[in-house]
Amino acid sequence: MSNDFYTTSILPHSGIIIKICRAYTDTQEDFEDYYQEVCLQIWKSKDRFREESKWSTWVYRLALNCCLTLIKKKKNNRQNVASDFEQKEIGAENNVFEDESLNMLYDAIRKLSEIDRAIILLYLEEKPYEIIAEIIGTSSNNIAVRITRIKERLKKLLDGKIN
Amino acid sequence: MEKSIESIWKEGFVNDEKLIAPKVNDLYNQKSIDIVSKFKRMYRINVIGIVVFSFIVLPMSYFSNIPYMGIMMFFLFNLILIVNRKTIFKLNKIDNSLNSYEYLLSFKGWTDELIAVNTKFSRFLYPYMFLALFFGFWCGSLGGDVPGDAIVKGFVSEYPNTPLVFGFPLVFIGIMLFVMLFLALVGGRIGKWDFNLGYGRIMRRLKTMIKDMEELKQ
Repeated sequence: MSNDFYTTSILPHSGIIIKICRAYTDTQEDFEDYYQEVCLQIWKSKDRFREESKWSTWVYRLALNCCLTLIKKKKNNRQNVASDFEQKEIGAENNVFEDESLNMLYDAIRKLSEIDRAIILLYLEEKPYEIIAEIIGTSSNNIAVRITRIKERLKKLLDGKIN
Repeated sequence: MEKSIESIWKEGFVNDEKLIAPKVNDLYNQKSIDIVSKFKRMYRINVIGIVVFSFIVLPMSYFSNIPYMGIMMFFLFNLILIVNRKTIFKLNKIDNSLNSYEYLLSFKGWTDELIAVNTKFSRFLYPYMFLALFFGFWCGSLGGDVPGDAIVKGFVSEYPNTPLVFGFPLVFIGIMLFVMLFLALVGGRIGKWDFNLGYGRIMRRLKTMIKDMEELKQ
Protein backbone atom coordinates (compact mmCIF):
# COMPACT_ATOMS: atom_id res chain seq x y z
CA MET A 1 0.00 0.00 0.00
CA SER A 2 1.53 3.27 -1.02
CA ASN A 3 1.87 6.00 1.55
CA ASP A 4 0.07 8.37 -0.80
CA PHE A 5 -3.02 6.21 -0.97
CA TYR A 6 -3.06 5.75 2.79
CA THR A 7 -2.61 9.48 3.44
CA THR A 8 -5.09 10.74 0.88
CA SER A 9 -7.79 8.07 0.80
CA ILE A 10 -7.74 6.25 4.12
CA LEU A 11 -6.39 8.60 6.75
CA PRO A 12 -9.17 11.20 6.28
CA HIS A 13 -11.63 8.40 7.17
CA SER A 14 -9.51 6.80 9.87
CA GLY A 15 -11.83 8.29 12.51
CA ILE A 16 -14.79 6.21 11.44
CA ILE A 17 -12.62 3.14 10.84
CA ILE A 18 -11.32 3.45 14.40
CA LYS A 19 -14.85 3.91 15.77
CA ILE A 20 -16.11 0.85 13.89
CA CYS A 21 -13.14 -1.33 14.81
CA ARG A 22 -13.44 -0.35 18.48
CA ALA A 23 -17.06 -1.47 18.48
CA TYR A 24 -16.14 -4.92 17.23
CA THR A 25 -13.09 -5.68 19.33
CA ASP A 26 -12.41 -6.42 22.98
CA THR A 27 -8.69 -5.85 23.14
CA GLN A 28 -6.13 -3.35 21.85
CA GLU A 29 -4.38 -6.14 19.96
CA ASP A 30 -7.57 -7.14 18.14
CA PHE A 31 -8.37 -3.50 17.48
CA GLU A 32 -5.02 -2.96 15.78
CA ASP A 33 -5.42 -6.15 13.72
CA TYR A 34 -8.93 -5.16 12.63
CA TYR A 35 -7.82 -1.63 11.77
CA GLN A 36 -4.96 -2.90 9.65
CA GLU A 37 -7.11 -5.49 7.95
CA VAL A 38 -9.74 -2.86 7.10
CA CYS A 39 -7.05 -0.57 5.64
CA LEU A 40 -5.65 -3.43 3.63
CA GLN A 41 -9.07 -4.44 2.34
CA ILE A 42 -9.78 -0.85 1.28
CA TRP A 43 -6.49 -0.73 -0.56
CA LYS A 44 -7.03 -4.12 -2.18
CA SER A 45 -10.58 -3.29 -3.25
CA LYS A 46 -9.97 0.28 -4.36
CA ASP A 47 -10.19 -0.66 -8.06
CA ARG A 48 -13.72 -1.93 -7.49
CA PHE A 49 -14.92 1.49 -6.35
CA ARG A 50 -17.33 2.57 -9.11
CA GLU A 51 -18.24 6.03 -7.83
CA GLU A 52 -21.88 4.93 -7.53
CA SER A 53 -21.69 6.15 -3.95
CA LYS A 54 -19.42 8.53 -2.08
CA TRP A 55 -15.95 7.26 -1.25
CA SER A 56 -16.74 7.73 2.45
CA THR A 57 -19.90 5.58 2.18
CA TRP A 58 -17.90 2.93 0.42
CA VAL A 59 -15.25 3.04 3.14
CA TYR A 60 -17.97 2.64 5.82
CA ARG A 61 -19.43 -0.34 4.01
CA LEU A 62 -16.09 -2.00 3.53
CA ALA A 63 -15.00 -1.38 7.11
CA LEU A 64 -18.24 -2.84 8.46
CA ASN A 65 -18.14 -5.86 6.18
CA CYS A 66 -14.53 -6.48 7.04
CA CYS A 67 -15.22 -6.29 10.80
CA LEU A 68 -18.25 -8.57 10.45
CA THR A 69 -16.15 -11.12 8.56
CA LEU A 70 -13.34 -10.95 11.10
CA ILE A 71 -15.70 -11.30 14.05
CA LYS A 72 -17.32 -14.31 12.37
CA LYS A 73 -13.93 -15.93 11.81
CA LYS A 74 -13.01 -15.24 15.41
CA LYS A 75 -16.25 -16.78 16.64
CA ASN A 76 -15.63 -19.88 14.54
CA ASN A 77 -12.17 -20.17 16.06
CA ARG A 78 -13.66 -19.96 19.51
CA GLN A 79 -16.46 -22.43 18.84
CA ASN A 80 -14.91 -25.10 21.00
CA VAL A 81 -14.09 -22.74 23.82
CA ALA A 82 -16.46 -22.26 26.74
CA SER A 83 -19.32 -19.91 25.96
CA ASP A 84 -18.38 -17.52 28.76
CA PHE A 85 -15.57 -16.43 26.48
CA GLU A 86 -18.19 -14.73 24.30
CA GLN A 87 -19.67 -12.95 27.26
CA LYS A 88 -16.29 -11.77 28.47
CA GLU A 89 -16.48 -8.50 30.32
CA ILE A 90 -14.65 -5.69 28.66
CA GLY A 91 -11.60 -4.91 30.71
CA ALA A 92 -10.14 -1.54 31.60
CA GLU A 93 -7.74 -2.02 28.70
CA ASN A 94 -10.55 -1.16 26.34
CA ASN A 95 -11.50 2.08 28.04
CA VAL A 96 -9.36 4.00 25.62
CA PHE A 97 -11.32 7.24 25.35
CA GLU A 98 -10.77 10.20 27.62
CA ASP A 99 -14.50 10.63 28.08
CA GLU A 100 -15.79 8.12 30.64
CA SER A 101 -19.36 8.32 29.31
CA LEU A 102 -18.11 7.44 25.86
CA ASN A 103 -16.30 4.39 27.25
CA MET A 104 -19.53 3.26 28.87
CA LEU A 105 -21.47 3.85 25.68
CA TYR A 106 -18.93 1.75 23.79
CA ASP A 107 -19.24 -1.04 26.36
CA ALA A 108 -22.99 -0.99 25.82
CA ILE A 109 -22.63 -0.94 22.02
CA ARG A 110 -20.37 -4.00 22.20
CA LYS A 111 -23.18 -5.87 23.92
CA LEU A 112 -25.43 -5.43 20.87
CA SER A 113 -25.59 -7.88 17.98
CA GLU A 114 -23.10 -7.33 15.15
CA ILE A 115 -25.69 -5.80 12.80
CA ASP A 116 -27.17 -3.58 15.50
CA ARG A 117 -23.68 -2.30 16.24
CA ALA A 118 -23.22 -1.39 12.57
CA ILE A 119 -26.56 0.41 12.44
CA ILE A 120 -26.09 2.41 15.62
CA LEU A 121 -22.56 3.46 14.63
CA LEU A 122 -23.83 4.81 11.33
CA TYR A 123 -26.75 6.49 13.09
CA LEU A 124 -24.47 8.14 15.64
CA GLU A 125 -22.30 9.34 12.76
CA GLU A 126 -25.44 11.09 11.53
CA LYS A 127 -25.71 9.14 8.32
CA PRO A 128 -29.16 9.50 6.74
CA TYR A 129 -31.45 6.47 7.02
CA GLU A 130 -31.26 5.96 3.26
CA ILE A 131 -27.47 5.66 3.41
CA ILE A 132 -27.59 3.32 6.41
CA ALA A 133 -30.18 1.22 4.57
CA GLU A 134 -27.96 1.17 1.49
CA ILE A 135 -24.90 0.13 3.48
CA ILE A 136 -26.72 -2.55 5.47
CA GLY A 137 -28.85 -3.69 2.54
CA THR A 138 -32.37 -3.09 3.82
CA SER A 139 -35.11 -0.44 3.67
CA SER A 140 -35.10 2.95 5.41
CA ASN A 141 -38.28 2.02 7.29
CA ASN A 142 -36.63 -1.06 8.73
CA ILE A 143 -33.67 1.02 9.79
CA ALA A 144 -35.89 3.58 11.53
CA VAL A 145 -37.70 0.87 13.52
CA ARG A 146 -34.46 -0.89 14.33
CA ILE A 147 -32.77 2.31 15.53
CA THR A 148 -35.62 3.01 17.93
CA ARG A 149 -35.23 -0.49 19.40
CA ILE A 150 -31.46 -0.25 19.60
CA LYS A 151 -31.66 3.10 21.39
CA GLU A 152 -34.09 1.63 23.92
CA ARG A 153 -31.74 -1.29 24.49
CA LEU A 154 -28.78 1.06 24.91
CA LYS A 155 -30.72 3.21 27.35
CA LYS A 156 -31.48 0.13 29.43
CA LEU A 157 -27.85 -0.93 29.34
CA LEU A 158 -26.73 2.54 30.37
CA ASP A 159 -29.53 3.06 32.85
CA GLY A 160 -28.28 4.96 35.87
CA LYS A 161 -24.68 4.84 34.73
CA ILE A 162 -24.54 8.15 32.93
CA ASN A 163 -25.65 11.48 34.20
CA MET B 1 -30.16 15.19 33.76
CA GLU B 2 -29.39 12.04 31.81
CA LYS B 3 -27.45 12.52 28.60
CA SER B 4 -28.74 11.10 25.34
CA ILE B 5 -26.57 8.60 23.52
CA GLU B 6 -26.29 11.09 20.65
CA SER B 7 -24.85 13.75 22.94
CA ILE B 8 -22.44 11.28 24.58
CA TRP B 9 -21.19 10.36 21.13
CA LYS B 10 -20.89 13.94 19.92
CA GLU B 11 -19.20 15.21 23.06
CA GLY B 12 -16.91 12.19 23.19
CA PHE B 13 -15.72 12.75 19.67
CA VAL B 14 -15.63 16.55 19.66
CA ASN B 15 -12.14 16.30 18.33
CA ASP B 16 -11.85 13.39 15.92
CA GLU B 17 -8.17 14.12 15.34
CA LYS B 18 -7.48 12.85 18.85
CA LEU B 19 -8.22 9.35 17.62
CA ILE B 20 -4.89 7.68 17.02
CA ALA B 21 -4.79 5.26 14.15
CA PRO B 22 -2.55 2.26 14.65
CA LYS B 23 0.41 1.92 12.33
CA VAL B 24 -0.30 -0.19 9.29
CA ASN B 25 2.58 -2.60 9.37
CA ASP B 26 3.44 -6.18 10.14
CA LEU B 27 -0.05 -7.19 9.12
CA TYR B 28 1.22 -10.24 7.34
CA ASN B 29 3.31 -11.56 10.20
CA GLN B 30 0.50 -13.50 11.81
CA LYS B 31 -1.00 -14.47 8.46
CA SER B 32 2.25 -15.89 7.15
CA ILE B 33 2.77 -17.93 10.32
CA ASP B 34 -0.84 -19.17 10.07
CA ILE B 35 -0.60 -20.26 6.45
CA VAL B 36 2.70 -22.10 6.93
CA SER B 37 1.54 -23.88 10.07
CA LYS B 38 -1.69 -24.87 8.31
CA PHE B 39 0.29 -26.34 5.44
CA LYS B 40 2.65 -28.15 7.85
CA ARG B 41 -0.31 -29.60 9.72
CA MET B 42 -2.00 -30.83 6.54
CA TYR B 43 1.25 -32.24 5.22
CA ARG B 44 2.01 -34.11 8.45
CA ILE B 45 -1.51 -35.59 8.55
CA ASN B 46 -1.01 -36.69 4.95
CA VAL B 47 2.30 -38.38 5.70
CA ILE B 48 0.91 -40.10 8.81
CA GLY B 49 -2.03 -41.25 6.68
CA ILE B 50 0.40 -42.86 4.22
CA VAL B 51 2.22 -44.72 7.04
CA VAL B 52 -1.03 -45.99 8.54
CA PHE B 53 -2.39 -47.02 5.15
CA SER B 54 0.84 -48.85 4.24
CA PHE B 55 0.39 -51.05 7.31
CA ILE B 56 -3.33 -51.57 6.70
CA VAL B 57 -2.83 -52.58 3.07
CA LEU B 58 -0.62 -55.58 4.00
CA PRO B 59 -3.16 -57.62 6.03
CA MET B 60 -5.99 -56.36 3.80
CA SER B 61 -4.32 -57.70 0.67
CA TYR B 62 -3.46 -60.96 2.41
CA PHE B 63 -7.06 -61.60 3.42
CA SER B 64 -8.28 -60.53 -0.04
CA ASN B 65 -6.00 -63.14 -1.64
CA ILE B 66 -3.93 -60.49 -3.43
CA PRO B 67 -0.80 -60.50 -1.22
CA TYR B 68 1.63 -59.45 -3.99
CA MET B 69 -0.24 -56.23 -4.47
CA GLY B 70 -0.11 -55.56 -0.72
CA ILE B 71 3.63 -56.17 -0.53
CA MET B 72 4.37 -53.99 -3.55
CA MET B 73 2.11 -51.21 -2.23
CA PHE B 74 3.73 -51.44 1.20
CA PHE B 75 7.15 -50.82 -0.33
CA LEU B 76 5.79 -48.02 -2.48
CA PHE B 77 4.17 -46.18 0.42
CA ASN B 78 7.31 -46.47 2.48
CA LEU B 79 9.35 -45.14 -0.40
CA ILE B 80 6.97 -42.16 -0.57
CA LEU B 81 7.51 -41.74 3.16
CA ILE B 82 11.32 -41.72 2.82
CA VAL B 83 11.14 -39.15 0.01
CA ASN B 84 8.77 -36.93 2.01
CA ARG B 85 10.72 -37.24 5.26
CA LYS B 86 13.68 -35.64 3.55
CA THR B 87 11.54 -32.71 2.46
CA ILE B 88 10.05 -32.31 5.97
CA PHE B 89 13.57 -31.87 7.36
CA LYS B 90 14.13 -29.07 4.88
CA LEU B 91 10.82 -27.46 5.84
CA ASN B 92 11.83 -27.38 9.49
CA LYS B 93 15.06 -25.68 8.52
CA ILE B 94 13.26 -22.58 7.22
CA ASP B 95 14.34 -19.73 9.46
CA ASN B 96 11.22 -18.25 11.07
CA SER B 97 13.14 -15.26 12.34
CA LEU B 98 13.09 -13.90 8.77
CA ASN B 99 10.66 -11.13 7.98
CA SER B 100 7.22 -12.24 6.72
CA TYR B 101 8.01 -11.69 3.07
CA GLU B 102 11.30 -13.60 3.14
CA TYR B 103 9.73 -16.30 5.27
CA LEU B 104 6.90 -16.80 2.78
CA LEU B 105 9.36 -16.75 -0.12
CA SER B 106 11.47 -19.43 1.58
CA PHE B 107 8.34 -21.46 2.19
CA LYS B 108 7.27 -20.99 -1.44
CA GLY B 109 10.75 -22.17 -2.50
CA TRP B 110 10.29 -25.25 -0.37
CA THR B 111 6.86 -26.03 -1.86
CA ASP B 112 8.27 -25.58 -5.37
CA GLU B 113 10.96 -28.12 -4.53
CA LEU B 114 8.36 -30.45 -3.04
CA ILE B 115 6.24 -30.21 -6.20
CA ALA B 116 9.31 -30.82 -8.40
CA VAL B 117 10.35 -33.89 -6.37
CA ASN B 118 6.82 -35.28 -6.34
CA THR B 119 6.35 -34.61 -10.04
CA LYS B 120 9.52 -36.60 -10.84
CA PHE B 121 8.52 -39.30 -8.39
CA SER B 122 5.01 -39.52 -9.88
CA ARG B 123 6.51 -40.59 -13.23
CA PHE B 124 7.66 -43.73 -11.44
CA LEU B 125 4.84 -43.98 -8.92
CA TYR B 126 1.85 -44.42 -11.23
CA PRO B 127 3.40 -47.08 -13.53
CA TYR B 128 4.54 -48.91 -10.40
CA MET B 129 1.05 -48.70 -8.90
CA PHE B 130 -0.39 -50.10 -12.10
CA LEU B 131 2.15 -52.92 -12.01
CA ALA B 132 1.33 -53.66 -8.37
CA LEU B 133 -2.40 -53.78 -9.07
CA PHE B 134 -1.85 -55.88 -12.19
CA PHE B 135 0.38 -58.45 -10.51
CA GLY B 136 -1.77 -58.40 -7.42
CA PHE B 137 -4.78 -59.59 -9.34
CA TRP B 138 -2.80 -61.65 -11.87
CA CYS B 139 -1.08 -63.73 -9.21
CA GLY B 140 -3.93 -63.64 -6.70
CA SER B 141 -6.52 -66.27 -6.06
CA LEU B 142 -10.01 -66.48 -7.51
CA GLY B 143 -11.99 -69.47 -6.29
CA GLY B 144 -8.76 -71.41 -5.75
CA ASP B 145 -7.45 -70.63 -9.27
CA VAL B 146 -4.72 -68.17 -10.19
CA PRO B 147 -6.52 -65.66 -12.46
CA GLY B 148 -3.39 -64.96 -14.54
CA ASP B 149 -2.90 -68.65 -15.41
CA ALA B 150 -6.55 -69.03 -16.35
CA ILE B 151 -6.38 -65.96 -18.62
CA VAL B 152 -3.16 -67.16 -20.32
CA LYS B 153 -4.61 -70.66 -20.83
CA GLY B 154 -7.80 -69.26 -22.34
CA PHE B 155 -5.86 -66.87 -24.57
CA VAL B 156 -3.39 -69.50 -25.81
CA SER B 157 -6.15 -71.98 -26.59
CA GLU B 158 -7.94 -69.25 -28.60
CA TYR B 159 -4.75 -68.07 -30.37
CA PRO B 160 -2.36 -71.06 -30.35
CA ASN B 161 0.24 -69.29 -32.55
CA THR B 162 0.65 -66.34 -30.16
CA PRO B 163 4.34 -65.79 -29.24
CA LEU B 164 5.09 -66.19 -25.52
CA VAL B 165 7.82 -64.52 -23.46
CA PHE B 166 8.53 -66.30 -20.14
CA GLY B 167 5.04 -67.81 -20.42
CA PHE B 168 3.31 -64.48 -21.08
CA PRO B 169 1.61 -63.72 -24.38
CA LEU B 170 3.70 -61.04 -26.12
CA VAL B 171 0.62 -58.96 -26.81
CA PHE B 172 -0.10 -58.76 -23.03
CA ILE B 173 3.43 -57.54 -22.39
CA GLY B 174 3.00 -55.00 -25.18
CA ILE B 175 -0.25 -53.67 -23.69
CA MET B 176 1.28 -53.52 -20.22
CA LEU B 177 4.34 -51.68 -21.45
CA PHE B 178 2.15 -49.25 -23.36
CA VAL B 179 0.01 -48.48 -20.27
CA MET B 180 3.11 -48.10 -18.10
CA LEU B 181 4.78 -45.83 -20.63
CA PHE B 182 1.62 -43.74 -20.86
CA LEU B 183 1.41 -43.47 -17.05
CA ALA B 184 5.09 -42.51 -16.91
CA LEU B 185 4.44 -39.76 -19.43
CA VAL B 186 1.35 -38.34 -17.71
CA GLY B 187 2.47 -39.27 -14.17
CA GLY B 188 3.92 -35.81 -13.56
CA ARG B 189 0.65 -34.15 -14.46
CA ILE B 190 -1.36 -36.58 -12.35
CA GLY B 191 1.01 -35.85 -9.46
CA LYS B 192 0.52 -32.10 -9.82
CA TRP B 193 -3.25 -32.54 -10.07
CA ASP B 194 -3.20 -34.71 -6.96
CA PHE B 195 -1.12 -32.11 -5.10
CA ASN B 196 -3.49 -29.32 -6.14
CA LEU B 197 -6.44 -31.36 -4.99
CA GLY B 198 -5.07 -31.37 -1.46
CA TYR B 199 -3.09 -28.17 -1.24
CA GLY B 200 -4.36 -26.08 -4.17
CA ARG B 201 -6.35 -23.68 -2.03
CA ILE B 202 -3.56 -23.01 0.41
CA MET B 203 -1.06 -22.58 -2.46
CA ARG B 204 -3.31 -20.01 -4.14
CA ARG B 205 -3.55 -18.11 -0.84
CA LEU B 206 0.21 -18.22 -0.51
CA LYS B 207 0.70 -16.81 -4.02
CA THR B 208 -1.85 -14.04 -3.38
CA MET B 209 -0.13 -13.12 -0.12
CA ILE B 210 3.28 -12.93 -1.75
CA LYS B 211 1.84 -10.84 -4.59
CA ASP B 212 0.15 -8.48 -2.11
CA MET B 213 3.34 -8.12 -0.12
CA GLU B 214 5.33 -7.38 -3.23
CA GLU B 215 2.84 -4.60 -4.06
CA LEU B 216 3.01 -3.38 -0.47
CA LYS B 217 6.77 -3.13 -0.71
CA GLN B 218 6.56 -0.91 -3.80
